Amino acid sequence: MKAYTTHIACGLVAVAFAVFAGPVSAEVPEPQTYWMGPLHSEVPATLSGAEVIHAPGLDALLHGGQAVLVDAASVPHRPENLAPETIWKPVPHENIAGSIWIPGIGEGNIDKNIEAYFRDRLTALTGNDLDRPIVFYCHPHCWASWNAAKRAMGYGYRNVAWYPDGAEGWQDAGHPLVIAQPEGPPQAGH
Amino acid sequence: MTKFALVGALASAVLFASAAAALDDEAARTARWNELAQDIFGAKQIQQGDAKIALEAPERAEDAALVPVTISVQNPKDVKSITLVIDDNPAPVAAHVTFGPAGDPQSLKLRVRINQYTYMHAIEETKDGALYETHRFVKASGGCSAPSGSYDAEALAEIGQMKLRFLGQPQEGQAREAQLLIRHPNFNGMQRDPATQGYTPARFLKTLDVTLNGEKVLHLDSDISLAADPAITFGVTTLAKGKLAIEAHDSDNAVFAHNFDLGTGGS
Repeated sequence: MKAYTTHIACGLVAVAFAVFAGPVSAEVPEPQTYWMGPLHSEVPATLSGAEVIHAPGLDALLHGGQAVLVDAASVPHRPENLAPETIWKPVPHENIAGSIWIPGIGEGNIDKNIEAYFRDRLTALTGNDLDRPIVFYCHPHCWASWNAAKRAMGYGYRNVAWYPDGAEGWQDAGHPLVIAQPEGPPQAGH
Repeated sequence: MTKFALVGALASAVLFASAAAALDDEAARTARWNELAQDIFGAKQIQQGDAKIALEAPERAEDAALVPVTISVQNPKDVKSITLVIDDNPAPVAAHVTFGPAGDPQSLKLRVRINQYTYMHAIEETKDGALYETHRFVKASGGCSAPSGSYDAEALAEIGQMKLRFLGQPQEGQAREAQLLIRHPNFNGMQRDPATQGYTPARFLKTLDVTLNGEKVLHLDSDISLAADPAITFGVTTLAKGKLAIEAHDSDNAVFAHNFDLGTGGS
């Protein structure tokens, strides 16, 4: 139900935010392989082989109806030594309507079970069509979507896009988010 | 779009009752706060307190792992404690500070981590038990998983070191602001160690006690929402000569203690 109201709202506000431009971070070079550092840190402006898109580009792709939208965000990890009486209450994860959310696909070293699940899901969602557009995102300054997009290209997908502005960027561009449930094998340590 | 609009219009009528409403809805944010208020303060009534308590923070934080927050109160003499809640952080209670006779609650400054766009609430508890809140919205994200700066082995060796300085000029009979810096990574357990790809185990300040010549200035309870190298600015009521004693405990049961001689006014 929520997804429908989302569509109304984005139709109304997309025009007003058409000039939205994402943050530029030209200083960070692309790593040769996957990024093995902290997943939350400055990201490059580019991803070789993939198209970098911002809100208007994503809006257009979503309206095209063909794109597969993948959220690569991690799930919050409760510290083991937090006092038992501490209130631990992560908010429900929110993302862009129509996404699938598979935590762990953006790790530098991907868990084998998660990778197998990820590949199978992409095959199913694209109908085994390597030319289907696939968009990856997570948060601003988040490498998980960069790694996941690179991985998908490694599987042979030829039409991969990276949306570095993340769910927050989508929200900033005037679109509502929806509450999401993770899928796939659990992320190690969670 | 037309089809969606039609279905959407029908659907939105029942959405108010739906717990699945996204948090960008103001109603869902309010519901989150009401739940948290219940968890933290129980059934106690919390009154709107804009005339009593003020909360300052950047509307959009440059660094989500280091967001400065200032809480100030109108009637410091009435204040027993102040609580800072970051609604959408996984551990929302960022700090709870109680004040003693040698403390002045007039102004309190902290630096916190913010995980995602969120409301922040500051709650004043008066000596007669009343609760007053104020709040503001802060745009910042990723502060909880952001790496803790340059916390290598060398930096960790300095853990627990403290610096204290007084702000402004002393004036007879006036409270004075003291700024305390504690070297501590305040690892929140949600940060990855790039070398091992595992989580850096949480290690954070749990309590901080400040006394002036043995008299309580303040007691702070906190956990993983304080920024690395915790900094706290607080008021001390008098300028009596003597010692300002600081004692901090962290989650590894380490104790860091330091005495500052007020005569010299600093570290």
